[in-house]
Amino acid sequence: MRALVFAVLPVLIALLAVDASARRAARERQMPAAIAVGRRLGTTDLALSGGARWLRAPSLEEPWAAFADAPAAPDPDPAGGAMSPPRELWSRERQR
Amino acid sequence: MMAKRSSFLAFVFGSLARRRAKALALGGGLAFAVALVAAVLFLTDALRGEADRVRSAMPDVVVQRLVGGRPSVVRSADTAVVADPPIPSVASVRARVWGYVFLPALQGNIVIVGIAKGAPSLDDVHGALSEGRDLREGAHEMLAGATLARFLGLRLGDELGLPTTQPSTPLKLVGTFSSAAELYAADVLFCDERDARTLLSLGPDEATDLAVTLANSDESRVVARTVLDRFAAQGTTARVVERELLGRVYALGYGRRSGLVLAASIPALLALLVLAWDRASGLGPEEKREIAILKAVGWSTADVLRAKLLEATAIGALATAAGLLLAYAWVFWLGAPGLRPALVGWSVLYPEAPLTPMVDVAQLLGIALGVLAPFVSLSIVPAWRAATLDPMDAMRG
Repeated sequence: MRALVFAVLPVLIALLAVDASARRAARERQMPAAIAVGRRLGTTDLALSGGARWLRAPSLEEPWAAFADAPAAPDPDPAGGAMSPPRELWSRERQR
Repeated sequence: MMAKRSSFLAFVFGSLARRRAKALALGGGLAFAVALVAAVLFLTDALRGEADRVRSAMPDVVVQRLVGGRPSVVRSADTAVVADPPIPSVASVRARVWGYVFLPALQGNIVIVGIAKGAPSLDDVHGALSEGRDLREGAHEMLAGATLARFLGLRLGDELGLPTTQPSTPLKLVGTFSSAAELYAADVLFCDERDARTLLSLGPDEATDLAVTLANSDESRVVARTVLDRFAAQGTTARVVERELLGRVYALGYGRRSGLVLAASIPALLALLVLAWDRASGLGPEEKREIAILKAVGWSTADVLRAKLLEATAIGALATAAGLLLAYAWVFWLGAPGLRPALVGWSVLYPEAPLTPMVDVAQLLGIALGVLAPFVSLSIVPAWRAATLDPMDAMRG
């Protein structure tokens, strides 16, 4: 009976994995609706930080959007402290 | 053999019960550390998964025009630059009308999207709208994110006049998006293209950007280069964003966020580990006497070592299980209160849709073993020290 204590972790891992899998399956069933709305959007970036355009749509904004007012000026938006620009991506993008 | 194993376990659990406070301090600290790290990983993976899941809805290539280093409006002549002469593998080029409007009432931006004539109706897609119906052309109607509608106190049939420099007709709310699209469209307002032009101050010949759809998305790099060459030949600066690179935006953006949060938690985690080490390595006089008695009645050094390691494994396994359960419940059942604003950033309009877990058995096992293995290894030294005690010395105190 006491040995069951050592089974708690593997059983919990199995239960969490099953719950996660069920939630993923439920989300997949919603995806046709999400994609139908997404096709109409300008960007499918997550609507997490709408205070500034570069935080709302980081994938489409120009790399210097965060510093639109002055070069290298501090980002005044509180969300800017939690989100970094995708510099590695910008270095690869095409622009002329 | 069974009896010996049973007596080992009886001793281990008896010992844990006798030193309940120490076991709880060790286990509680470890569970808290596991919960914090696992919750950050769960939340980051869920956000990245959510962003990736709908990436296929983006056009293969987006073309922006730059003026003075900032995105500027595109004109029909720019559409012609991309579309004429036709580039092989380009299936369509569409000028999109969308942008941001600052709402003083919200003290935040909302996203206005103009829906072009002939766009597939959302009425035909099951579950796209939580209530109402899709827009009707020319009827001055709007669809809005559920969060936005709730924030503005709008119900179906209500009209909203948005701040604009041009005279505009108030828009009537005819539907809201379902929770399926909440994470992408919480702050979005769809209206027909003509209304969007008025709200965004775009002329009839102007658009925000060009969406290029390809017959074969593998050719996006070639198409991007061709488009840029054509704009350069016209003496215009352009910027091209390829969909295939967006996955990296999300991986980098959310990866670095989780890194920041974890880095900020390092001092607390270190303090916790030092405390745990201190508690685990210290042998009290009670414990020393107990081990001495065991050795006096015939337990070998290996037996004591094994019992002590079992004790550490029991505490570690239970604490890891509690930590994982706490993290999962915190993020996916409760919506990560406290952690979500720290990790995803601050916003007036916040999507309230639940997140979908991306964790699987491999990741859960990885976290569990990553915690349990060092914890049990760290307990070897104090266990060895306990096992090699001289019974006579220990009993004398």
